[in-house]
Amino acid sequence: MWQWFFRLGSPKWFYEMSGKWLPWLLVLMTVLMSVGIFWALLFVPQDYQQGDTIRIMYVHVPVASISLACFPLMAVAGVITLVWKMKLADMVAKCAAPIGAWFTAVALATGAIWGQPIWGTWWAWDARLTSMLIQFFLLIGVIALRSAIESPDAAAKACALLAIVGAINVPIIKYSVEWWNTLHQPASDFSMDENSAFGPEIWVPLVIMIFAVYLFFVISLILSTRNEILQRERRSQWVMDIVANEKV
Amino acid sequence: MFCERDDRVLFNDLAFSLHEGELLQVQGSNGSGKTTLLRILCGLNSSYEGELFWEGVPIDEDRETFLASLLYLGHRVGVNKILTARENLRWSAALHSPKTDQDIDAALEAVGLMGYADITCRNMSAGQQQRVSLARLLLSPARLWVLDEPFTTLDVSGVKILENLLAAHVAQGGAVLVTTHHQLDVPCSMRRLNLDK
Amino acid sequence: MSDTANNTSSSQPLGRAPIAQVSTFSAFKATLKRDLLIALKRRNDLLNPLMFFLIVVSLFPLGVSSDPQELTRIAAGAVWVSALLASMLSLDNLFRADYEDGSLEQLLLSPQPLYFMVLAKNISHWLISGLPVVLLSPLLAYMLYLPADAYWTLVLTLLLGTPVLSLFGAIGVALTVGLGSRGLILAVIVLPLTVPVLIIGAKAVADASLGVPIGMHYALLGALLALSLSLAPLASAAALKISVN
Repeated sequence: MWQWFFRLGSPKWFYEMSGKWLPWLLVLMTVLMSVGIFWALLFVPQDYQQGDTIRIMYVHVPVASISLACFPLMAVAGVITLVWKMKLADMVAKCAAPIGAWFTAVALATGAIWGQPIWGTWWAWDARLTSMLIQFFLLIGVIALRSAIESPDAAAKACALLAIVGAINVPIIKYSVEWWNTLHQPASDFSMDENSAFGPEIWVPLVIMIFAVYLFFVISLILSTRNEILQRERRSQWVMDIVANEKV
Repeated sequence: MFCERDDRVLFNDLAFSLHEGELLQVQGSNGSGKTTLLRILCGLNSSYEGELFWEGVPIDEDRETFLASLLYLGHRVGVNKILTARENLRWSAALHSPKTDQDIDAALEAVGLMGYADITCRNMSAGQQQRVSLARLLLSPARLWVLDEPFTTLDVSGVKILENLLAAHVAQGGAVLVTTHHQLDVPCSMRRLNLDK
Repeated sequence: MSDTANNTSSSQPLGRAPIAQVSTFSAFKATLKRDLLIALKRRNDLLNPLMFFLIVVSLFPLGVSSDPQELTRIAAGAVWVSALLASMLSLDNLFRADYEDGSLEQLLLSPQPLYFMVLAKNISHWLISGLPVVLLSPLLAYMLYLPADAYWTLVLTLLLGTPVLSLFGAIGVALTVGLGSRGLILAVIVLPLTVPVLIIGAKAVADASLGVPIGMHYALLGALLALSLSLAPLASAAALKISVN
């Protein structure tokens, strides 16, 4: 088990394995994404209250759910970085931060677009949007810290620590924002549980889209991490071999 | 007393040991990694591969014992400029073993700073601040001294004082690890470690 | 080699006895005293956060309105936001000088549990920058027409909340203390972490001025304080080790 764990930590092993997996993941994602999008846009019935607006959900919910997974992911990578000094974990954490920030930004944007027809305003201090916004700030903080520290080694550890602190804070922020929000104004009808008639014709395409967006996240992360690996390991023999082969 | 390390980043396959009653002078040109080596040994720098032992036990396993036996004086002397010499020493002694004001005055006198106990360190010269830092050597019960360029700002008499301190410490069975370009004139068992080779 | 090791370890108890007697408590006290002494010798640093607090609070009437009713509505939030910013501003002093003059290395290499050493520095920092803000807050609350019922709540929530701000802030300072150009990065890192404290604290004061019971708010703030007291110094200590690396 440990051997497997540490082999996983080898950038070279990761680079080779992810190279083999990437095409399959890409195919799977393309299929799921096109099925999901066509289904959601063309065949899902209109919502009895929200009309066509409900279709934004098929982008918003998957993107929002993956951006919530970003901090735990970075915190786990951070623990691995600090405890086992595994370089690959830091590379993943480094690449996950900007991707996670983008996903969070997209979740915020789609939330705003969805909110416009429903609340009549582009921005509302809704509990979910607010805690998403704070999480966006936290991610920006991690990215800023990474770029501010020159030594890659110190940056890795500092960001790992900040990610762990942030991950402990995310649930606290989430609950305090929810608590603040429910006291301030009645709970919004933004949530899905309002649509009590939540039949399979609605949730099946949603599940498909969630898988597709997760795959999209994983693929972006893998591509970005592979890039990072090549950059950091550029002095090692196996990277030079790859570069030499590609030139031929 | 035994302390060993072996490392493969700045220095390849470096291994050495230091015994009690011994002084080891680390030499090397600028940028050869003297300071890095010392900081790694103390545990201030953890980006290395290799092993460090203190009395046969890996340092990571029992840091507290190691730290209790260690006194490190770095480039930055660790003297707060707003406080007086006495206040500075009172604090650093309290971290290791609290001393009375008489002890502190005696230590200051020994490093040639008699009457400076209540002077704010900002009003002292670099060499005098360095001497305040050296007074720690007298106040600390540590057996291993790790000194990074302790001679740089000292004048002739300061150099003499420090050399005597080193010799006395080694004679009492302590160990010293020191980096310096200064030609050490210490009557004790002394070895040199050259990082250029 | 092993021979030497054995020899020394057998003679060790003698040599180490005086060291073992150094109680963590006396080192804790010495660190606390030292930091307080440094702060007292730098009167300006003592006054600046307080002045900043005063100025920011007085910006609200200028920026929002001088209408008492409107000010009453925002008073709780305004005082809390200003306290938050004031504690951010004062954070920089926490480890900076020690990092620059090498005292931090001495602290990290002392045979004392870092948790308590960092805690001592945190406490002295709060006594110097947090407590005065708490004590000044009723005056500023009066200037913003906060209802009199809420004064005690304001002081008590700040008393519970500002230490949390200091403790969280210390992590950020410890992470950035080695950076040449820190700019606003400290605020970018730390401010999002302080959101729960701000929410609960400001809400408690606002609720108190409406006469709503606020036992729950105190409980939440207390829980945050307990959590950050037990964990934040550990994180700061780890961050300091990373920063001196």
